[in-house]
Amino acid sequence: MNLVQRAVAKGGKLAPLVIENGLTSGTGLMNPSVFIDDDGDILVNLRHVNYTLVHAEGGQRFPSRFGPLSYLHPEKDQRLVTVNYICRLNKDLEMTDYAKVDTSKLDVTPIWEFVGEEDCRLVQWDGKYYAIGVRRDTTSNGQGRMELSQLEINKENWAVTEVSRMRIPAPDPNTSYCEKNWVPVLDKPYHFIKWASPVEVVRTYPDLPARCEQVSFRQNIKPPQDQRGGSHLVPWGDGYISLSHEVILFKNYLNQKDGLYYHRLLVWDKDLNLIGISPNKFTFLDARIEFCTGAAKLGEDLLISFGFQDNAAFVLRTPKEVVEELISEAMTYVN
Amino acid sequence: MLINELIESASHDMSNPELNFQIAKEYERINQTASAVSFYLRAAEYGYATHPLIVYTSLLKMSLCFEDQKDRNWNVSNYILQAIAHMPTRPEGYFLMSRFHEKASNWQECYTMAQTGLAFSNQRLEPLPADVLYAGEYVLLFEKAISSWWIGRRDEAKVLLNNLLSTQTMKPEYINACISNLKTIGA
Repeated sequence: MNLVQRAVAKGGKLAPLVIENGLTSGTGLMNPSVFIDDDGDILVNLRHVNYTLVHAEGGQRFPSRFGPLSYLHPEKDQRLVTVNYICRLNKDLEMTDYAKVDTSKLDVTPIWEFVGEEDCRLVQWDGKYYAIGVRRDTTSNGQGRMELSQLEINKENWAVTEVSRMRIPAPDPNTSYCEKNWVPVLDKPYHFIKWASPVEVVRTYPDLPARCEQVSFRQNIKPPQDQRGGSHLVPWGDGYISLSHEVILFKNYLNQKDGLYYHRLLVWDKDLNLIGISPNKFTFLDARIEFCTGAAKLGEDLLISFGFQDNAAFVLRTPKEVVEELISEAMTYVN
Repeated sequence: MLINELIESASHDMSNPELNFQIAKEYERINQTASAVSFYLRAAEYGYATHPLIVYTSLLKMSLCFEDQKDRNWNVSNYILQAIAHMPTRPEGYFLMSRFHEKASNWQECYTMAQTGLAFSNQRLEPLPADVLYAGEYVLLFEKAISSWWIGRRDEAKVLLNNLLSTQTMKPEYINACISNLKTIGA
């Protein structure tokens, strides 16, 4: 049973996130990050890309010319370009406002083909909004680093401006090729889960010079497969919960790439020890590529935001009862 | 039905080609063509063995979605070709392929696709579950008429265009196009 079915059966609600075509040319709106700010507004960072993902499922009888999993960008523009919108939802999860993040003050000419800040998680720390994602367009080899982009949100006119941008180094020796999907801990400013096994907690700072240090590194329970960053860590009960993803990448007999994504719920104690994990992986809507990039507590329920095949975006209101079931299941996990 | 209602109701059966097709149509209606592509492709893949018309229509719809996104011609043509391969005895795919070649000024390809489609346009056809721009046999005759002039068959072009105006009930844009083209070629 997928998670949407499970949530809806217990009174949950699924909300598609759509921005009018005139702004987005119909291409993918994906990987939304839901967040509830100090005013109680439900905000979402919604990623818009210039491509359409084609992922043939089932018997894979109708792949694109380039294989079962391909990013179909414009033919005269080989880049995969991301821009971000900040949206506001009402309590029924209907989008009431949206604005493209104005990055013009800080933009520099991209020098790699993945352009823009990708898969941003939205947070508010020390009263300031941050979109935190990976950028890979600043070096000629596509090196990825997390960036802390401070946003100013004008709620009167609903306009969003990026006012500062900091490229976060990896903890020493900072030699890795690509850092991405660091998971922000909602109530611990500038703290992230970098890896889940062993659990590596890092923190950065909002001021210059850009720096990052390892806070802890310890082996807790061992997941059945490498878990990668998904939603925020959301305070829940005496600790935290989050959603992670795992990827199975492979190639078909024509050496064309393919992949499967699954999710699990992770349970953390107050000291950020991983103490539970869904014993069974799950999907949101049974697609083979889905991606969760946000979660927020709304009343007693959990909002979970996810992308569907890079082409569609949703927020799922998941009733507390379902969340507690998931937690109970996770706590039965024995590695 | 709204998208959220469609998907919530489909969530128990996400491999159902009919439900995926409905969701795709709704996304296409609001011009979210990437989302529509996802669900049309799912409709095609999961309907392969059971729903031939949904498969065929979904593939043609995918090509129209890519056309709408602009500058994705490889994918426009690819999914028309896949539709034709799936149901080679229906005319709609040949029409879209002919139209594709018309836009690219590939005139012999345009003519050949139109003529091939005409070979299948006179039969009794089960209606498709969605519009794919095929308004009837006359659209193939139109493509044939236009392309015939460009491949050196001027007289054939004149006859076809005049016949279209005198014998076919057509949409206004086709009537206007016939008149305009006849003026252009001096007929």
